[in-house]
Amino acid sequence: MANGSALEIRNVSKRFDLGKGRSVTAVEGITFNVEQNSIVVLLGPSGCGKSTILRMMAGLETPSAGEIVIGGRTVDGPARDRGMVFQAYTSFDWLSVRKNVEFGMKINGVPAAKRRAQAEHFIKLVGLEKFADVYPSQLSGGMRQRVAIARTLANDPEVLLMDEPFGALDAETRWLMQELMVNVAEQTNTTMVIVTHDLEEAIFLADKIVFLSSHPGRVKEEIRPAFKAGKRIDDKEVVIKLDGYSDLEGHLMHLMREEGRGLE
Amino acid sequence: MSIHRPSKQFFGLRKPVGRRQRLLSALGIWIVFFGVWVFAAAAGLVNELLVPAPQQVFATTFDLFYGRGFASDVLISISRVLGAFAMACAVAVPLGVMMGSFPAIEAIFAPFVSAWRYLPAPSFIPILLMWFGTGEAPKLALLFIGVIFFLITLVMDHTKHVREELVETALTLGANRGTVVMKVIFPAVLPNIVVAMRQMLAMAWTYLVIAEIVASSTGIGAMMMRARRFLKTDEILSGIIVIGVLGLLFDLLFAALHRWAFPYLRKV
Ligand SMILES: Nc1ncnc2c1ncn2[C@@H]1O[C@H](COP(=O)(O)OP(=O)(O)O)[C@@H](O)[C@H]1O
Ligand SMILES: [Mg+2]
Repeated sequence: MANGSALEIRNVSKRFDLGKGRSVTAVEGITFNVEQNSIVVLLGPSGCGKSTILRMMAGLETPSAGEIVIGGRTVDGPARDRGMVFQAYTSFDWLSVRKNVEFGMKINGVPAAKRRAQAEHFIKLVGLEKFADVYPSQLSGGMRQRVAIARTLANDPEVLLMDEPFGALDAETRWLMQELMVNVAEQTNTTMVIVTHDLEEAIFLADKIVFLSSHPGRVKEEIRPAFKAGKRIDDKEVVIKLDGYSDLEGHLMHLMREEGRGLE
Repeated sequence: MSIHRPSKQFFGLRKPVGRRQRLLSALGIWIVFFGVWVFAAAAGLVNELLVPAPQQVFATTFDLFYGRGFASDVLISISRVLGAFAMACAVAVPLGVMMGSFPAIEAIFAPFVSAWRYLPAPSFIPILLMWFGTGEAPKLALLFIGVIFFLITLVMDHTKHVREELVETALTLGANRGTVVMKVIFPAVLPNIVVAMRQMLAMAWTYLVIAEIVASSTGIGAMMMRARRFLKTDEILSGIIVIGVLGLLFDLLFAALHRWAFPYLRKV
């Protein structure tokens, strides 16, 4: 990965003001890079600050210290160059799937013809071509997340940010969605930052795992799954059987365990 | 031999009631009501002058419409309700949405609006009469005051409940504040606004009747007050029935509007 950085997180801390003079430090001194076209996974126990970091990248929270840089500019508020997919469903229920996917392009003034073609392309990419004209309320949870992903990608962001995007899905659907994301990353060359607390998901998706410790969240370790030999494999069964998979899983489990103990 | 089916109880504990049973039950209660009324009138259990028989009330209603131009009173009442209600909505909906979207706007208007909510609208009748005389203005003003502050609060509360993720999704897609309000918050809250309007229209009817009874020579309420002077209980009851039927019709109309405008809310 000789690519440059799409996103740089430089010594970022975040304190939340709880009122009455109290505050909590969610994350402290976070530094890492998100290389162009790579999938970076933020992994760590619940409450370690993964969402906080992702939200600061999106511009939805402001760092208390440090800065986040995209394309040479310091992040200052949300913008279309950093699209975000949430764990909760965010489909606009009053719009058809197609209109949902066109939404970002429409508000950004993309001409209608191009909009339609782009939407068509990304609806197909996430496998929803049969459902393009139905309302999201008629779709299953997994399909709704596909809508959200297609909508974000169709808006052509520099970076796709996802906060436990498959956390609400059943195991089988989650698996399919993970494979879909590897395919999407391969086909669109989109840089992705994915938050999860699921070890398997992290190993399967990541070109690089940033492991966070808790209270306050700090980068504990950056891990590149060497056993994948720099390749992306879109079949989870294959990945799980590769040499080195279980070693990495064991290592991550150990890290998680340590964090868990730290809480007691 | 028939297959044994578990017998269905008429009063099943928390069991949904079928369409047929619901219809029959609804009919039943009204039949009982009118039955008692007819019987009481026929058997002379009640003073004929104070409680005329239902068939007489219906005949009077018919006569009022076809013989004595009651329709124009009804139309006047309807246009008062709709006129004042439309004006209240024109202010309350945009203001409520803005207050629910921008805490700074809420901070300005909420202290004002919530104070007004504690003032019963009819307490303004004397001063409205002094300000506006006896034309349409005081009636419209009463309805307006009676509805608007509750509507603003309802719309604001519903707007605040639009999920933050929807707003943040729009922001990360590149929407500015105006676009978020117009293209996400407003369409998201619109079905609930229509529900709030439906509730407040019922309230508008209440104030209309108060206004017409207290200070009007036209409209359904005024007709009822005239009838009282001539001891025409049947006409008073006709007025009550007409008001009830109109309220029901408008409610059904709003329900139909809701179904038609928001097909995506239908259960598949
Ligand atoms: N808006 C907020 N106000 C106060 N505290 C917050 C807020 N958001 C997050 N926190 C705190 O910051 C810490 C990290 O939260 P979060 O980023 O949601 O963790 P994760 O996503 O890893 O589960 C938690 O202790 C949480 O309570
Ligand atoms: Mg989180």
